[in-house]
Formats: sequence, C-alpha cells, structure tokens
Amino acid sequence: MDVVGMKSLAAALAIGLGAIGPGIGIGILGSKAMEAIGRNPEATGQIQTNMILAIVFTEAIAIYALVIALIIKFV
Amino acid sequence: MIKKLFTVRSLLILLAVIALFVVSGLLGLKVVLPEVSLAAEPIFYIGSFGVTNSLLTSWLLMIFLIVVSILATRRAPKNLESASNRDLVPQSGLQNAVEMVVEGFYGMARNIGGSWAPKFFPIIMTMFLFVIVANFSGLLPGFGSIGLLVRAHAPQAGHVANGVFLTGAEAGVGEEGYVIRPFFRAPSTDLNFPLALALVTVALSQYFGFRALKLGYIKKFFNFSGFKKGVLVGGAQLLAGLLEIISEIAKIISLTFRLFGNILAGEVLLAVLAFLIPYLISVPFYGLEVFVGFVQALVFFMLTLVFFSLAVTGHADEAHH
Repeated sequence: MDVVGMKSLAAALAIGLGAIGPGIGIGILGSKAMEAIGRNPEATGQIQTNMILAIVFTEAIAIYALVIALIIKFV
Repeated sequence: MIKKLFTVRSLLILLAVIALFVVSGLLGLKVVLPEVSLAAEPIFYIGSFGVTNSLLTSWLLMIFLIVVSILATRRAPKNLESASNRDLVPQSGLQNAVEMVVEGFYGMARNIGGSWAPKFFPIIMTMFLFVIVANFSGLLPGFGSIGLLVRAHAPQAGHVANGVFLTGAEAGVGEEGYVIRPFFRAPSTDLNFPLALALVTVALSQYFGFRALKLGYIKKFFNFSGFKKGVLVGGAQLLAGLLEIISEIAKIISLTFRLFGNILAGEVLLAVLAFLIPYLISVPFYGLEVFVGFVQALVFFMLTLVFFSLAVTGHADEAHH
C-alpha cells in the first residue's frame, strides 16, 4: 500500500479510535448530571457549571486525537 | 391544511437558490479543496522577521478591542468612589452592552473565585475577550479565501490561476499550479497563540499561589508532612506532590490543544464541507462553529479561574470541603 493510502488510514484510525473513550465519558457525565438535576432541580445552575467543566476536560482528549489525525493527514 | 406553505415569495427564493447553483456550476466556479497548513505562513517581512497571517490578525483584533474599550468607557466617571448613582448610569448603548457582559462574567468569577475575584478578573476577562474575538474572526468572510497566490510545492498540484482569481481546475503537468496563502487567519488556529495564553495562565497561577500562601506554596509540590505518619505515607505524599508538577505541565498542554484543536478542526470542517456541498451544508455548521467558539472562550475563562482559585487555596483548606 502506498504512503498516501497509509496516511489516510492512519488519520482515520487516529480520530476514530480516539473518539470512543471521550464519547462514552461525556455520555456518562451527561446522564449523571441529568439524574442529579432530576433529584434536585434547585441546584441546576451549579450542576450545569460543573458538568460543562467536566465535559470540556474529557472532550480535550478527543481533540488531542483530532489534532494528531490532522497532523498525519496534512503535514 | 397546507394553507400558506407555498407562497409566491418562498417559491421565488427557492428559484433563486437553484439559479445560484446552476449559474455557478456553468461558470465553473468551484470551491477548491482546502490546503490546510498547521503552521501560519508569513505574509510580509519586517527586516528578517516574518509577520504571519495570524499575527497580523491578532494585531488587528487588539486594535479592535482597544478601540471598543476606549469608546465604551469614554464617558464613564473617572473616580468611582466619589461618583453618584446618577453618574454611574451608562452613557451610551455600547457602554451598556459592555457593562452587561463584564458584570455577567464578574458574577461568575465571584462565584468560583470568592474573595480573590477582583485580583483574578482583569487578566481572565481580557483573555476571554481576546479568545472570543479570535475564535469568531475565523468565521468572517475573507479569512482563508483572500490572500497571496503562491506557487504550489511538489506534492500538491495546485490550481490554475486566472489573473488574480484561483479557478477550480487542477493544474496539469505542464501548467503552473498556485495555492492561496491567506492574508488573515484566526489567531486561535496558530499554535503560538493558545500556547502563549496557556503559559501565561500557568505562570500566573504560580504567582498567585506564592502571593496567597507565601513560601508555603512550595509545600504543594514538595510535601514532606506525610513523614510524620510513617515512611510509607510520607513517600506517597511526596510522590503525589511531585506529580503535581507533571500536572502543571499537563495543564499547559491541555489548555493549548483544547483551544487550538477545536478552532482548527472547525476551520477545516467548514472548508471541506464548502468543497463538498457549496452554499447549503455550511450554514448549520457555521452555527455550530459560532457556538463552539463561544464555548471554548468561556471554558478558557472558567478553567483559568479554577486554576487560579486552586492555586490560592492551600491543601489545608481543601481538606475542609
């Protein structure tokens, strides 16, 4: 297989596999936050803020994978 | 009952969109596949210093922010302690809007930062404003599409240039291929900009830590207090302290790549979608990019605030939570 084909495959694998973990993680975060809001609607603001913070941390992992995929493909 | 679904006006708009597609197809106007370069390219040189397109854009954004700040605070009272309530009323619409934004974020800063909020707020609000205009600037028309025509390098074929316009036709073997080197580029897509902000954040958190806890801040990293309870516990605490140093470096990397990755990925996404289905597909993703730009700026603000707050509370306070 030639280099360009390998590069495309590598980029696809990088982002594909790299998005599995954060996807599951954000799903868990969201579901727990929904549960907490349902249990205590008054604390929605605080729960929301902390949820966004946690989601941003997990999403960063997916972004690392995306950056590697872009580097492989375009550099 | 389909009462007014197909009015004359909506049918005319539909016709205009279809005509746009047909005409641009006939004229051969094609969106070229984007040539993504991770590094920012120099546009002109001052002496031997190459001014890159993202640097030029960040200078323009700085001028914009400074001008807006001057205009918004021109008529505000200079001495706030002696100003009566009447003087504090915003004198212009711009001042009102800016005060609304600043006050909203100051409330958030006070929630998370507590009593240290007045000291943290100037730097983090400035960072927020700079990041948000930097993120949004990449969405303005002309960014990425207007630039210098440079010869394409070996692996890229480039496109045929028609005078000053780049056509969609790929350059053949004998023809000269050109690519566009944009004049303007969102600063957040240049790795230097998020890296600089992240370095400033982490350096400032060390500064605030030392200022709050004096020399006791070192105990966060070199924690010998566990040795009172035994060697094993002491060793574990020491290791945990040393890991904090690694965590500071991880903060730099994560802050940088979060902002860089999000905005760069958004740019590449918009460019590739415009190449695939012009005019239509870009619209909902443009909305997504606006949202992502705002959220990334907000997250930078909140993370910086949280890092500063964590730095000024020592370990003892944390145990009381």
